[in-house]
Amino acid sequence: MKPMLSTDLNAADTTVEKAKIEVKNLNFYYGQSKALKDINLSLPERSVTAFIGPSGCGKSTLLRVLNRIYELYPKQSAEGQVLLDGKNILDRSQDLNLLRTKIGMVFQKPTPFPMSIYENIAFGVRLYEKISKAEMDSRVESALKRAALWNEVKDKLNASGQSLSGGQQQRLCIARTVAVKPEVILLDEPASALDPLSTAKIEELIDELQADYTIVIVTHNMQQAARVSRQTAFMYLGELVEFDRTEKIFTSPREKRTQDYITGRFG
Amino acid sequence: MSAVSEAATSSAMRTREATVRRFAFTDMVFRAATHASAILVLVLLGGVAISLIAGSWEALSKFGISFLSTESWNPVTENFGALAPIYGTIVTSAIAIVIAVPIGIGIAVFLTELCPRPLRRPIGIAVELLAGIPSIIYGIWGLFVFAPFLQTTIQPFIIWLFKGIPGLNSLFAGPPYGIGLLTSSLILAIMVLPFITSITKDVFDTVPAVLKESAYGIGCTTWEVTRRVTIPYTRVGIMGGVMLGLGRALGETMAVTFVIGNAHRISASLFAPGTTISATIANEFTEADGAIYTSSLVALGLILFIITFIILALARYMLLRIDSRTGA
Repeated sequence: MKPMLSTDLNAADTTVEKAKIEVKNLNFYYGQSKALKDINLSLPERSVTAFIGPSGCGKSTLLRVLNRIYELYPKQSAEGQVLLDGKNILDRSQDLNLLRTKIGMVFQKPTPFPMSIYENIAFGVRLYEKISKAEMDSRVESALKRAALWNEVKDKLNASGQSLSGGQQQRLCIARTVAVKPEVILLDEPASALDPLSTAKIEELIDELQADYTIVIVTHNMQQAARVSRQTAFMYLGELVEFDRTEKIFTSPREKRTQDYITGRFG
Repeated sequence: MSAVSEAATSSAMRTREATVRRFAFTDMVFRAATHASAILVLVLLGGVAISLIAGSWEALSKFGISFLSTESWNPVTENFGALAPIYGTIVTSAIAIVIAVPIGIGIAVFLTELCPRPLRRPIGIAVELLAGIPSIIYGIWGLFVFAPFLQTTIQPFIIWLFKGIPGLNSLFAGPPYGIGLLTSSLILAIMVLPFITSITKDVFDTVPAVLKESAYGIGCTTWEVTRRVTIPYTRVGIMGGVMLGLGRALGETMAVTFVIGNAHRISASLFAPGTTISATIANEFTEADGAIYTSSLVALGLILFIITFIILALARYMLLRIDSRTGA
């Protein structure tokens, strides 16, 4: 029951791999109310970690701390430490724009920018790199190939990003994120607004991307967590209840609350 | 028992039918009323257009198409041409829009993206109060305060500054009267600013938070999010605000009449006095004694009507093209 226990466990479990992100004693507040309570976990490099739990458990909040996107809203605040490669990103001196080029994010709803498909990808690249047209072309192409979208859009790169279907838009958003060459990719329920076929494509994509990126995915869908992730964190009411290898969480969880949740007894 | 309940049911049915009939009647009345209201707009518009055409017929048949290209406006010889007021109307409105649009969008960006919450309401309310100031007040303020200020400070400075530069020296040629085309444009800019600001602010608020988040999420600064995401996403609405402002600027009468100088001529200099269509009508309708004089003023009104119509149509067309290009 005590958070300390699970912390000990995941420390023991993940020492073999290099930690990309380490969260230490993280508390998070929406105004007065506390949304995350003393979170400790470490996310290994180049693998997929899933955050699961019932609505309002804080899994999206935790994700939004990792690139400090929450700071767009003045009433939200975090305390504690989040170490990216050993450096605390919650530190005031951390440059936010730079941080967000290192940690890309894909949202629940597809959010293509109001510009062409090509520009949707080139836009983010151009913010931080000065490259020639030919290099940009190949960068756009490789990003779209990475996102398994190239074959569908290669003949209409100048069409509006908003003219694509929902699943294509979401893959465009992933391509856009990948094109900036981040180190970490945060996915906030990336498939919850998509049909099963598009979902399968996205999951395949996540599986391929983990060779190069550290991926964190928040999902409502437990089968999805089981399919795509290597580690799973179960959260409940702002606490990290259990964090372990995915097959362990889904076959022999240590905590009763985890067991109840994955067997559908609540949440 | 069953007979009783049957009777009860059938009486319930009857009252229900009666109610439905009553509804059908009120529904019909409602539909007719809304229908009539909608038709009324078309009737009014048509009526205005027809009476403008009828009223201006005498002048238009006498002067023909040269009414549009003649600069002189001479009530003594009864020779009228609309070129000077058309020029003044378009130039003052265009300058006003050029000044007001960037400032209005700037205020809207500040209010939606950057403004500390406690300041947001006071500034928003101040902008809206600006829209509530009657135009006569802009007029007297412009004439007694703003124009003398321009005359003694800004205008001499600009004339001095551009003296040797070809083009600019004739655009800003003296003497500094204070009143004139540029002064009217500045007053108009202040007057249309609240329209552009409040509409732009409203449409900025419609941008989904998650869209802005994803732009910030790839490392955009506030400027980049505004420039590349917020403004493109809301351009139709911004255009609408600009057009509304332009419509107001084209038709604004009182404030302009005070500060434009009411001279029927076209000068290269923006400091020179000029006139606009609405200022001419407001100034001269009381002294228009001859039929041809009155008819010429009505013809000016018709031209303003057409200009406004063309500008709105152009705006629609532009928006249509932008939309089809991006496929949105």
